[in-house]
Amino acid sequence: MVADNGKKSKVAERGEEDSDHVDGELVLSIEKLQEIQDELEKVNEEASDKVLEVEQKYNEIRRPVYVKRNEIIQSIPDFWLTAFLSHPALSDLLTEEDQKIFKYLVSLDVEDCQDLKSGYSIIFNFSPNPYFEDIKLVKTYSFTEEGVTNITGTTIKWKEGMDIANGNGHEKKGNKRPFAEESFFSWFGETQQKNFSDGVTDEVAEIIKEDLWPNPLKYFNNEADEEDFDGDEDDEENFGLPFLGHLQDSKYFMGSEDDEDGEQDDDDEDDDEDDS
Amino acid sequence: MVADNGKKSKVAERGEEDSDHVDGELVLSIEKLQEIQDELEKVNEEASDKVLEVEQKYNEIRRPVYVKRNEIIQSIPDFWLTAFLSHPALSDLLTEEDQKIFKYLVSLDVEDCQDLKSGYSIIFNFSPNPYFEDIKLVKTYSFTEEGVTNITGTTIKWKEGMDIANGNGHEKKGNKRPFAEESFFSWFGETQQKNFSDGVTDEVAEIIKEDLWPNPLKYFNNEADEEDFDGDEDDEEGSEDDEDGEQDDDDEDDDEDDS
Repeated sequence: MVADNGKKSKVAERGEEDSDHVDGELVLSIEKLQEIQDELEKVNEEASDKVLEVEQKYNEIRRPVYVKRNEIIQSIPDFWLTAFLSHPALSDLLTEEDQKIFKYLVSLDVEDCQDLKSGYSIIFNFSPNPYFEDIKLVKTYSFTEEGVTNITGTTIKWKEGMDIANGNGHEKKGNKRPFAEESFFSWFGETQQKNFSDGVTDEVAEIIKEDLWPNPLKYFNNEADEEDFDGDEDDEENFGLPFLGHLQDSKYFMGSEDDEDGEQDDDDEDDDEDDS
Repeated sequence: MVADNGKKSKVAERGEEDSDHVDGELVLSIEKLQEIQDELEKVNEEASDKVLEVEQKYNEIRRPVYVKRNEIIQSIPDFWLTAFLSHPALSDLLTEEDQKIFKYLVSLDVEDCQDLKSGYSIIFNFSPNPYFEDIKLVKTYSFTEEGVTNITGTTIKWKEGMDIANGNGHEKKGNKRPFAEESFFSWFGETQQKNFSDGVTDEVAEIIKEDLWPNPLKYFNNEADEEDFDGDEDDEEGSEDDEDGEQDDDDEDDDEDDS
């Protein structure tokens, strides 16, 4: 086959064979590369699982500490109310009416699902009160595999005329009473499904879970510091914590001015002792 | 002492004592609460340390796999160039001139500091080329305890007239040549210190480290898929499917139509 056609055909064929050969090597390399990527993916999944295990373990360790903490908090009147009001973001969420309701707030709890992955709940425990029948208001976040977050919240059983979350219990807009802000308690009714791609699911929940819950004392202390220097028991801004005015001696109120001798037991500073 | 003053004083004193008593309890509770918070902080630090240990361990496991991967990539021509051009964000960063330089790119490497906390480097390895003397261009990110990120980058030793990162090697603006886009290589010179509070330190670095580096093949394949179905070796944009879609099938080649 020496005719041009034949030769060209042979060259073309050989070119194709070479080309096949190169293509074949290329395909092989890409296949091997895919295997490596599969191997990496397995390693990454294993790493994620191990990290989750560590987080689950430490969550278990923290649980009893939170229980202990809650017991101590019971002996600090209006602890959570004060902490809320001292938090830069959360304080803006409480109307005057809300603050009155928070006087009945016994405790706050944030509970993760055991596996951590599936979600968590934020629980507000109340003592019997004139506002609603419930003693427990809960908001729950459930994460699905597909990246969807299902949110459920207690439907509050408001007592007659007390439903401030829905416009009752105070005079309607247009009247002089300025209850223009939305009640914090409407948060329990905000339960639309969210997608992971929506970004932050629920800012209030995130703030309570990630910021307030881990260390509420640091916020509580800020408030207490301000009141330390307020010697007047009757000042309403004490929010029912009249005795804090006497606690400026305490070394635990960080940022407060040092007493001359800085001792807790020293009563010499008390105004009441000035017998006139 | 039955005079009013005295009584009042006594009541006042008793009031203070009660008040002190209550205050004392309160102070005690707050003290105990602080202890609990300190305990929690210790637990949290331990948790963070353990998580970091896990991540460090798996980083060690991944290293040799990345080395193996790099060897395989050597037998795929223009792998990183193709992957870059297939990445939705990175493709926009390469000028035509950059793409010519990337033909000399031998490998890419992302190396974490051993402890992971201190930072990482992104390394571009080149073969000898007409553009610059270097065979290795590196950009390094170092994290300090105070939340500051120090960035260092190779000062590229451009060859005569080739410094496209700084406006040479192509005609200046105002001429007809449309090299208006900034060269990717100027990225190596962007080394101001950043603070953690500034947010994202360096988007290009983040994309390379977190997105491209873990799995560049998925981007390469997008591009390669387009070329798979191009039966004509000379066609630069082939994206139509061949009738049978097989790579080894030469029946579709135009060259075979002997007329």
